[in-house]
Amino acid sequence: MNPTIVDAQLQPPPADGGPASPPPPGPAIVGTAVAALLVLALSGAVAAQVRAAGTRLEHPEKAPEGKVAIADHTEAPYCTPSFKTVLQRVLNSCGLVGADSARRGCQPADVKTFASISDSDFNALFTPLKDRGAVVLFDEASDQLDPDAKKLLEERWQDRRGARYFFVVARASRTGTPDRNRALSHKRANSVRMYLDEQFHDPDLDKQVGLLWLGNEFAQLDKSYCDWPSTRGGKACSGEAVNRSAFVSWVDCRL
Amino acid sequence: MLPRTARWPATLALVASVLGLVFASYSTFDYAAHLDRQLHAVHCSFIPGAPASEDVNNACRTAMYSPYAALLRGQFWGGVPIASFAVGAFAFFVGFALWLVLARERSPLRARLFFGVLGLTPVVASVVMFFISLVRLGSFCKLCVGIYVSSLLLAVAAGRTLMDARSSVGVRPGHVALPFAWLAALGASALLPAALWVATLPDYRPLLASCGKLPVAVESHGALLKLPTKEPRQAVTLFVDPLCPTCKALHERLLGEGVFERLDPQVSMFPLDSDCNWMLDRPVHPGACVLARAVLCGGASRARQVLEWSYDEQETLAKLGKDGAALLKAKVVSRWGQDMAACLDARSTTLKLNQHLQFAVANHVPVSTPQMFLGDQRVCDEDTDLGLRFTLAQLAPQVLP
Repeated sequence: MNPTIVDAQLQPPPADGGPASPPPPGPAIVGTAVAALLVLALSGAVAAQVRAAGTRLEHPEKAPEGKVAIADHTEAPYCTPSFKTVLQRVLNSCGLVGADSARRGCQPADVKTFASISDSDFNALFTPLKDRGAVVLFDEASDQLDPDAKKLLEERWQDRRGARYFFVVARASRTGTPDRNRALSHKRANSVRMYLDEQFHDPDLDKQVGLLWLGNEFAQLDKSYCDWPSTRGGKACSGEAVNRSAFVSWVDCRL
Repeated sequence: MLPRTARWPATLALVASVLGLVFASYSTFDYAAHLDRQLHAVHCSFIPGAPASEDVNNACRTAMYSPYAALLRGQFWGGVPIASFAVGAFAFFVGFALWLVLARERSPLRARLFFGVLGLTPVVASVVMFFISLVRLGSFCKLCVGIYVSSLLLAVAAGRTLMDARSSVGVRPGHVALPFAWLAALGASALLPAALWVATLPDYRPLLASCGKLPVAVESHGALLKLPTKEPRQAVTLFVDPLCPTCKALHERLLGEGVFERLDPQVSMFPLDSDCNWMLDRPVHPGACVLARAVLCGGASRARQVLEWSYDEQETLAKLGKDGAALLKAKVVSRWGQDMAACLDARSTTLKLNQHLQFAVANHVPVSTPQMFLGDQRVCDEDTDLGLRFTLAQLAPQVLP
């Protein structure tokens, strides 16, 4: 049975056979009132929510303590204040940072002055770089890089990770005149830099490579440095030979 | 007493309208909360009143951030949520259904016919949104499903009312103008929340360009990846992580907006994985370094494909990444060929990835992904989801279709 027909049949029959009499207005008023109230209340609530968001936008809550880190270079544990002092002075002196940025390289005499520390303390600063860096060894009186030296240099250069600066600390000999040694260690430092330039054509090389060349008056290496990674590992090494070298390493410090 | 079958359509319509109103209201209020450009919990439950979820990847958030959640997004920050129209419409149907319930058989024929026809409209909108969820979003938000079900129940009630009305006899028809008045009332009800929404929106324009610049726009080694697009009109720099869900979502939003093909993107890989990224002390996305290398190995021709594959397969790849790099590499090689194997481990690839990371350092960008720069102007993170289209309309209107 069709329920709607039942509905219609249950209505009181109209007197003139036409449509049923008008329904009482109550349900329509209730329905309209409920709809209107709901629409108005919810629209008001929506507007209030939007306004509240606008207020929060204008007066944001204090950011939580944990700030988002900013991309930066590595800061290794060996970056002690003493190390950073030397680093900063080397960078300034070598023209990598600071006002004197047109200048390249450092004078040997400067090292003693700017380092303001003893030979052994100066070398000790680089001890934590033993595994990060390497000792590039040269033949006596030579500034030529041999194939092993080139290979090791390439490896170390490409193992930059988060470092900012690449240090080259060249030495010449424990014997001989300081002038001659300075000139030779200067050439060795430049050999390293030039090879890196030729090999990698890195446009930022000048901003990254810090050169130090030492005469025999400061920070000479003793035989214990023969144990460091070097281009002639396993071969005979002496205190004299290990100073015919350039120590190279990326430095993981921020300034 | 009337048979129960005579009353159930109106009662069902009332219940369905109330349910739809509740779900639509939660959805609208959640949307409104995000107008402060901050991240908030969102309600995502079939149970009205259940606590909001903080989960950043829940389906309701996905739906909310999608281009389909709101209208006029280019004109207003965040646009006007579709749910706000539903709030007004369901409120109208609550009142109308209540009238039908109370009036029973004394309701005019035109009221029943009107309800029978107009009560079907929410389900039409729901069917459209259902297919968008299915095809475009690939997920169903529970609040949305709540609205779909409410609309369906309303449609069932409306359909039955319509059938009954067409076969009824002797029922008073009601005034001929009433349907027009109801239609106007329905329109006004649906539009009022949206109109108030627009009227109370704050002005976002001063905020859009307040998030900084890219100080070093060019990577000196030329290491950044250029992704090919069909109609590049605007240079954009993106810092992305292949395993970052937010990066995937942004990429999908840019594609969904029809914007990506009009960008000229250079991509800096920024994997949040301590395996290669020294800026982290633990991996946020283990395996992201492997995938970043894979994208780099894709080179100019395949980088976009590899990146989009990483996004498409993100869940699987993230799981493999947690199980170890070897499994992830095997997956990459199985998809992209044996030549990828050598490239992944090549020192030159490591060097290139490092140049990407150093590019991030040079620009002092936050250690987070994704980050987008239109030219050198940083797009605030807060404007890369709800406000994306508005932001693009203001900062680079030429990229909008």
